[in-house]
Amino acid sequence: MTRRIHRYGTVDSTMRIAAGYAALGCPPGTVVVANEQTAGTGRFGRRWHSEKGTGLYLSQVLRPDVPGDRLPVVTLALALATGDAIARASGVICDLRWPNDVVAGGRKCAGILVQLQDRALIAGIGINVNHAAFPEELAGSATSLRIVSGREHSRDALLDELLESIDTYMRLFEAEGTEPILRLFAAASSYVQGRRVVVEQPQGMLAGVTDGLDPVGFLWLRTETGRELIVSGGVRPCS
Amino acid sequence: MNAEEIRELIRLAQESGVAELEVQRGENRVRIRLAVAPAALDFVVPPLQAQAPPLNSQPTQAAAAAKQAEVEAEANVLYVKSPIVGTYYESPAPGSPAFVKVGDQVSPGQVLCIIESMKLMNEIESEVSGVVLRKLVENGRPVEYGEALFAIRAS
Repeated sequence: MTRRIHRYGTVDSTMRIAAGYAALGCPPGTVVVANEQTAGTGRFGRRWHSEKGTGLYLSQVLRPDVPGDRLPVVTLALALATGDAIARASGVICDLRWPNDVVAGGRKCAGILVQLQDRALIAGIGINVNHAAFPEELAGSATSLRIVSGREHSRDALLDELLESIDTYMRLFEAEGTEPILRLFAAASSYVQGRRVVVEQPQGMLAGVTDGLDPVGFLWLRTETGRELIVSGGVRPCS
Repeated sequence: MNAEEIRELIRLAQESGVAELEVQRGENRVRIRLAVAPAALDFVVPPLQAQAPPLNSQPTQAAAAAKQAEVEAEANVLYVKSPIVGTYYESPAPGSPAFVKVGDQVSPGQVLCIIESMKLMNEIESEVSGVVLRKLVENGRPVEYGEALFAIRAS
């Protein structure tokens, strides 16, 4: 894959800049990486905490050659790629929380958001690398590779590993389809089977026990009233 | 001509893309007219479940539904449908105004809604200039592949 890396100092959001490149028809693989984001984009306009010089904040334009209705599986592939890259670059072994939170020690160390626009996927990945601490409102849910491992890590080495790893998983997905991605995800995630969770749904929180992935990659949840298929929404552990 | 033969003719008409097919065999004559003109197939068409009446419905209802589909096809009404299974959101964030409301003028490329599937946020854009006639899905509801989301009268 062509890999053009556009490096920025401080930006509002790498997602916005990458979307601009995509709209201009940039080649797949184009990367926007920033040292700091002042308005890092999360789901539904939420912010991704992007402290200067400590994290890896990037968006990559992808144009996978797969049928359109299979594109959501890319988010699972990106979680796998991010977990692998973190393990290789830092030695930290992460869990994957469906669909694509990357978790270490029960807290989120990387977040992934994918937007489909102008017929391109814009994959945003934020990794908490060398953060020493987090603002109070995030302290209970966020962690960094430094906090988990007790030492600092090279963000450039992590970026190299990450782009290599994304490339590998995207090629696997294009060549072999959904099945191997789902199998690898189920093997890498403790959340796919038998985990008591609550799922944030537009109608409210839904509690249940996870019960595997369906062939599309959606999450089965056994609830008090029956088996529900979760197609979107954040999953949280509950005791 | 039996039901199986008529079904076969309907299939032929659909596959060939003709708008109308008339077949005479002896004294039997059958005319098949597709509700959606082939030219409109370039655009989005309403999903099957929105068009086809339930099997147990009365013929009058079926005729009315076909008539309705026909009228809308003639009146340049296009349906924007979901390209994936997911959750429908009418606005970019909870509490913020909807991307579009009924009666709004829209232009090609304008975002109409978001369908989220496993944290893939799929911005659904209008392919045409026109007016939003109906919003067919309630905010936060799950949508199926191919489900109609908006009716837009193209201008």
